[in-house]
Amino acid sequence: MKRTHIAIIFFIAVAIGAIMVTINDASTYVGFAQAEENMGTKYTVIGYLDKEAAMDYDARANRFTFTAIDKEGQKQKVFYNQPKPQDFERSEEITMKGFATDSAFMAEEILMKCPSKYNEQNEIAGYETY
Amino acid sequence: MEYIGEHLLPGEIGRFSVSLAFAAAIIAFIAYFLNSRSEDDRYLKVARSAFLAHSVGVLGIVLSLFYLLLSHYFEYDYVWQHSSLSLESRFVFSAFWEGQEGSFILWLFWHAVLGLILLFTARKWESHTMMVFSAVQAFLASMVLGIYPLGVKIGSSPFILMRETSDNIGLPWTQIADYLERFPHFMDGSGLNPLLQNYWMTIHPPTLFLGFASTLVPFAFAVAALIKGDFKSWVKPAMPWAFFSVGILGLGILMGGAWAYEALSFGGFWAWDPVENSSLVPWITMVGAAHLLLVYRNKRTGLKAAVFMSILTFLLILYSTFLTRSGVLGDSSVHAFVDLGLSGQLLVYLLFFTLASFGLMIWRFKKFPKEDSGDDLSSREFWMFIGSLVLLISSFQIIFSTSIPVINKLIGPEGLIQILNDKMAPPLDAIKHYNSWQLPFSIIIALLIAIGQYLRYGKTSSTLFWKNISVSLALSLLITGIFAQLYDFWTDPLYLSLLLTGFFAAVSNLWFWLVLGKAKWTFAGSSVAHIGFALILVGALISNGRKDIISHSKVNLGESLPANENALMDQGDTVEMGKYFAVFEDMDTVNNKQFYSISYFNQIGESEPLFRLKPFLQMSDQMGPTPNPDTKHFWDRDIYTHVTYSSYLEPVSPDGFGNEAEVRLNEGDTALYRNHFIIFDKNKVNALVNEETGELKTIMLTAELRIVNAMGTEYPISPAFIVEDDIKEYRDTTLEAPRLKFRFEDIDYDTDEIILKAWTKKDQREKPFIVQKAIIFPMINILWIGSILMVIGSFIAVWQRIKKA
Repeated sequence: MKRTHIAIIFFIAVAIGAIMVTINDASTYVGFAQAEENMGTKYTVIGYLDKEAAMDYDARANRFTFTAIDKEGQKQKVFYNQPKPQDFERSEEITMKGFATDSAFMAEEILMKCPSKYNEQNEIAGYETY
Repeated sequence: MEYIGEHLLPGEIGRFSVSLAFAAAIIAFIAYFLNSRSEDDRYLKVARSAFLAHSVGVLGIVLSLFYLLLSHYFEYDYVWQHSSLSLESRFVFSAFWEGQEGSFILWLFWHAVLGLILLFTARKWESHTMMVFSAVQAFLASMVLGIYPLGVKIGSSPFILMRETSDNIGLPWTQIADYLERFPHFMDGSGLNPLLQNYWMTIHPPTLFLGFASTLVPFAFAVAALIKGDFKSWVKPAMPWAFFSVGILGLGILMGGAWAYEALSFGGFWAWDPVENSSLVPWITMVGAAHLLLVYRNKRTGLKAAVFMSILTFLLILYSTFLTRSGVLGDSSVHAFVDLGLSGQLLVYLLFFTLASFGLMIWRFKKFPKEDSGDDLSSREFWMFIGSLVLLISSFQIIFSTSIPVINKLIGPEGLIQILNDKMAPPLDAIKHYNSWQLPFSIIIALLIAIGQYLRYGKTSSTLFWKNISVSLALSLLITGIFAQLYDFWTDPLYLSLLLTGFFAAVSNLWFWLVLGKAKWTFAGSSVAHIGFALILVGALISNGRKDIISHSKVNLGESLPANENALMDQGDTVEMGKYFAVFEDMDTVNNKQFYSISYFNQIGESEPLFRLKPFLQMSDQMGPTPNPDTKHFWDRDIYTHVTYSSYLEPVSPDGFGNEAEVRLNEGDTALYRNHFIIFDKNKVNALVNEETGELKTIMLTAELRIVNAMGTEYPISPAFIVEDDIKEYRDTTLEAPRLKFRFEDIDYDTDEIILKAWTKKDQREKPFIVQKAIIFPMINILWIGSILMVIGSFIAVWQRIKKA
């Protein structure tokens, strides 16, 4: 067998390893209920902002508090230990990475999906009807 | 119906140009195909004229879109969405390629330019390579066609009027002839995303897209070689293009990093974001392809790998386009494009070229010439081959992790074949995940770069090898020792290994060029590029591995919470930041930017600050306030700061109330605001009817609510609003003791909810404050110097190859 063949086999082995580790590293999208079952374990939760509940950013403590509703419809208070993300009110969907505690979900990272400019344009254009 | 005030001609020219470009590309493809079969010169003439006509069409598209943007014709959807009257004209380029259609056009344009060069220079390779080019161009031009044959959307046109978009068609206002004059909406566009109003955004996209486009040339040559069955002579003309691609794509990616560092606030130049990854991966495979071509040219070995990597690179560009533009990445990336409904078309595009090119390779597999491979362990070609394999694994790992959303679509719980029970999410700590793989790969690559030049093709004498390399090894051990001491790398074996191999690679390549290459310019290309790449690795390692966040919050919320990396700064107060003392001085508003002036002192009580930074928040209706960092550059470190929040953002009404909150309540609902419960009991309506006409004259709505504080004290309130002759008047309720104010804003008749606004009284003596994040990036200049050297080196290599070819 040639050395290059050994190298290629080695390559395939590492590639399979990469797949395994990635699957291991990859978290799963869960709801708040599942996050609460394993408090302290990190999860990614997708939800949306509960616009009926109050939202508060305490700049002195630098803590942002809001309520999110996950895809199963469960409401949960979320603490985010960072400044309030810009344009948070307009978000359509929030991806929260963090862990549950007995009082609230502690988000360490937040990604938002904002309505695209297309949708907004619809609203404006649709409003100007006679 | 005749519409008033529309400028239809430039749009017509644009649409005609798209059709011309599309049709001419197809004709060119067919003619080149016939020419490649029959070698009949008449077909070649037709093909060339068709490709020239195609290029004219592409130019026509570019010019008409620029004309529309510069003339502010907001009746065009693309112009309205991506520009505005207030947009400075130097940003019109950014507006051009902000949207997907514009970036497809940019890509089309570069392909046309490269195609023309190839048309005149490729000689006996012309008909085969240009056939590939024409096919690619036909597909690309179809992305901006914007037609709907049989109800299927093909492409999205930038020359469509707003009244013609599928969302607006049929709406009543599109039937009004003078709609442009009647609605203020059309007077001005919605404007360019403020993040893109940066000079990097003027030069980064065209460079990156030239990089994308350049990968087509080696691909076209490889495919041409497969079709012709001529495996030998394609390498020579393809090689300068491969190195050009390495240089220009690398430059484009690095410019993106520089833009992120300068204008974005995610705190660094690289974040392993899917969009970044999808341009990095083809670059890595292109580096592999270029080196394999070099091996084949010198040793006539490893041809299959060279063909494979050249093809793979272009396919990865197509795959990246699919990833970033199909909306697949929606959940996982901050800056993926929105879906324009073109994902099906992109998928067809990707599958067509994947099946065609790999199909050709399999079909020709037996025809590949036999190679005698004496892959000696001391030969240069063996280690270059290993290096290319490492690059391939590295790119595979990145693209696999980036593709998690695609994997969900394929085998997730809602996917095509349902294998997984849960939807996979990208790794929680993406940076850690990627670094844990890419760090070892970088160490191997750096080591290979260090020794590569000292190995010979065929066989290397070990005494000579050690004699030549020993000085570099000793020198780099010394330099590594100094840096490890300065930046405390001793306890981290992986980091230390990369530091050592990185310096080793830089020093040995410099030594090779100075001593063995006698510092001749004709010899410099590979050495300079390799030194540059090694310095990028070292610079990234030190600046990111030893970055120091010097802003900290004094409030500690709990041990389990991540440390808060933002410092609160009251105006005029001194705040300790690392070894500096920072003072937030004041805020100036210039246009729609709020500049925050922050002074940094070495010691408390100094009269003159060491330096002053002015990070700003850009206000826009579209995006809200957008932070823009400001950085102090020292030769050995950068202090990178941005404002994450400021008291100027809190809405304060003239009567001194702030912290506005809005809540929607149904009868019986309870809400919480500033430690007070708000309970909505009922809604009362009082209407006054004009007795003569029977019309509603005045209507007053009152919401009866109770505010309960933590002690249980109840305050009944009844804010109201009156509508009289279409004028709305609020009767707000102010509570003196808890210092709260409430407004009954409106009622939602669909859900029967009331919309209530609440404010708290702001302390008048309260000083303005900001929340700031500050990071020190040590030795980041090594990274930038490395970037420049790598690009220069690649271009010297291209120049050398062209001279040889």
